[in-house]
Amino acid sequence: MDIIENLLMGFSVAVSPINLLFLTIGAFVGMIVGIIPGFGPTAGIAILLSLTFSMDPVTAVIMLAGIYYGSMYGGTITSILINTPGESATVASTFDGYPLAKKGRVGPALVMQAVASFVGGTIGVILIAGFAPTFAKVARSFGPPEFFLLIAIGLLALIVVMGDNKINGAISALLGLAISLVGVDVITGTQRFTYGNPELINGIYFLPVAIGLFGLGELFYSIYQGQHKEGNREEISFKKKGEFWPSKKEWSESKGTFARGSFLGFFIGMLPGAGATVASLLSYSLEKKVSKVSEKFGKGHMPGLVAPETANNAASAGAMIPLLTLGIPGSGATAVLLGAFLMWGLQPGPLMMSQEPEFAWGLISSMYLGNIILILVNIFAIPLFIKIMRVPYKLLVPVILILCTVGTFSLHGSMVETWIMLAFGVIGFFMKLYDFSPAAVVLALVLGPMAENALRQTLITTEGSFLIFVQRPVSLILTIVILVMLIIPFIKFIKGLFNKNINEDKAA
Amino acid sequence: MKKKMMLLVLMITVALFISACSGDQASSDSGEDYPSESETLDWTIAFGPGGGNDVMAREMIKIMEQYDLYPGDIVPENREGGSGAVGWGYMQQNVGDPYQISTTSGSFITTPLQSDPGWDYESFTHVALMATDDMFLVVPGNSDYETLDDFIAAAKDKKMNIGGIGVANVDRMIVETFGKEAELEYEYVSFNAEGQLQSAMLSNTLDAIVANPSGVIGQLESGDMRALAFSGVERLPDYADIPTFIESGYEVNISMPRGVILAGEVDEEVRQWWIDTMKKVAETDEWAEYISKNYLSETILYGDDFTEYLDETTSVFNDILSELGVIEE
Repeated sequence: MDIIENLLMGFSVAVSPINLLFLTIGAFVGMIVGIIPGFGPTAGIAILLSLTFSMDPVTAVIMLAGIYYGSMYGGTITSILINTPGESATVASTFDGYPLAKKGRVGPALVMQAVASFVGGTIGVILIAGFAPTFAKVARSFGPPEFFLLIAIGLLALIVVMGDNKINGAISALLGLAISLVGVDVITGTQRFTYGNPELINGIYFLPVAIGLFGLGELFYSIYQGQHKEGNREEISFKKKGEFWPSKKEWSESKGTFARGSFLGFFIGMLPGAGATVASLLSYSLEKKVSKVSEKFGKGHMPGLVAPETANNAASAGAMIPLLTLGIPGSGATAVLLGAFLMWGLQPGPLMMSQEPEFAWGLISSMYLGNIILILVNIFAIPLFIKIMRVPYKLLVPVILILCTVGTFSLHGSMVETWIMLAFGVIGFFMKLYDFSPAAVVLALVLGPMAENALRQTLITTEGSFLIFVQRPVSLILTIVILVMLIIPFIKFIKGLFNKNINEDKAA
Repeated sequence: MKKKMMLLVLMITVALFISACSGDQASSDSGEDYPSESETLDWTIAFGPGGGNDVMAREMIKIMEQYDLYPGDIVPENREGGSGAVGWGYMQQNVGDPYQISTTSGSFITTPLQSDPGWDYESFTHVALMATDDMFLVVPGNSDYETLDDFIAAAKDKKMNIGGIGVANVDRMIVETFGKEAELEYEYVSFNAEGQLQSAMLSNTLDAIVANPSGVIGQLESGDMRALAFSGVERLPDYADIPTFIESGYEVNISMPRGVILAGEVDEEVRQWWIDTMKKVAETDEWAEYISKNYLSETILYGDDFTEYLDETTSVFNDILSELGVIEE
């Protein structure tokens, strides 16, 4: 078996004391940058890049890659503890992660996110090792038409995350789409709703919006409910063993989720431009859609945490596919890694894996080890994080406020973004109060511009014809998926009417 | 224990906060003891990670660190968006701050021509033009077009979709000038990231793209893509078999100026310090290696010569874009 041989060679490269040391450092730094809201892997890698020039390229890339996927572990911790996503890919982890913590299941939630991250990351690496060339072909068949259809599926999935009040949910989604219109139009270069403010030229970035809506919105709501008046929150005591490890029921509920989240996440992650954020949101929607107990989602249901967590970690592995096999960066963080490859004289491209096998397979093997290190670090660190939940809420309030503010500012050093975050904190409070859907706002804000650009790029190339969506094989499959998604609820609706009529007839 | 934990979190955030702010606090310093070791140099990269501008900035930083040319820390920051409007807009907001530096691209000239980002090339202090880079016209490896003539012949009957980065970027001007010169049927399709642009062509949505040589060398070597023409005045030494547009009879020679600028209104001493420093950078073996490795043309102009180059280039760009109707005169 070539794969086994390659992997063994990879391990022989990766398992040297110095590589293991830097792998651990990278994984740890990744966790830390993931924990700090707004400060994500791209910034972490970019800053540490300059420290790696004197290192052996393999060691350096192993460390930088460790930061990259390590941040996917750390990012969830604040999502669960204080409802504030540490970075964009963990927005979806707040949906059920935080309610779990509120229910007193913070220990199991943190353990489960670590396990989910491990499973997603490891399945992702296995898929890279085994099928990189095959997946490279799939990634290559994704042009603007396919990308548009994929994002359209994501927009349909909005209905799933928007909650029970569909009218308020639709209003929330439209608010997100409206916000996404701000900025320079990528196709014509026209400025939209920027009012000449250069800070708005690039549009309103969704992370300040998400931090505001989730982190601050929840904070204000908790104060409104009077949580700060309570002393130590008694619901979280850790005397019983069952409050650290997830229960048997939680494991068995999440079995299928582990697999679905990992594969979906990996697949979406390898498409340039989509990335871990879209993967985690879609995975959550899919899981809620296929679940028999979908009403439990959003109220602290374990699969609702496992779905985005497996997906975002698998996606970060998936993003290595175009990077290693095509030389194309699929995300901001992998683009920095690509820049790093160039600096060390490695020529990224379709030949890299065959020309630099030690490097490529050393990196892939190190990702196995990195995931093992990360799950161990996580499990041991969890008791520390749990203790934060014991701190009286009134003491946590200023800390959360500072974390959200500083985290947002550290994104781009922008005061405008910091004000946007604070404004959305207030909006988030009222949305929660009146049962609107912050998740729909964020999802629409992320997906809206992607859909718009891809659709317009497609239609320019076809001179306005929509036929391309059924002429290309992958497009055709995606179009059928969309039609099925649209028709099924309609059929259910008609069936419902029909049954109702029969029942009424019987009653009469 | 919990206190320690919270303290740690706070310390990390405070450290981040300080590093993020330090650039802004430096604005009032005079040039006397420039550069101060305690000041962080804020290096704006007005584009996303991995692109040509990003790679050049990070290479310069690497050389400066290797040769101890700058005493303090250098933090590169990708402030992407609006074809450079965001990144250089950020520079413009920090006018007078001697610790704000950036690297230029074609958009440095085209973005203010096309829209009103609140700055133009005259808003900044010009240090040096370090290189220009030219682009390949690239088609998929499995396409029927072996030569530029094949492509042009085919484009008489069929509309060609040619992709590039940005709306009024050098990418587009190469496409538009070539299209006009060769009397093609074509449509320019704008993308905002290299990854999506390349995968759009590999998925056969686009017939061709214009691309930086450094971004597609690996794909050219593997045969996944084929370069038909080069926009430089002379052929690239490493790709001597790829003809230039000019020798094929099409006057396509628009290049991307890769230079170094500071924020506007900084002291003359600061500019001089950077001119001297960039001279040192340009003399290193690493820089020469970077130029050849990234297939750039070594066109070096310092200070006022760079300003003059920007004057001329801007008027040339202005003429072309007005003619295309991209901007109103």
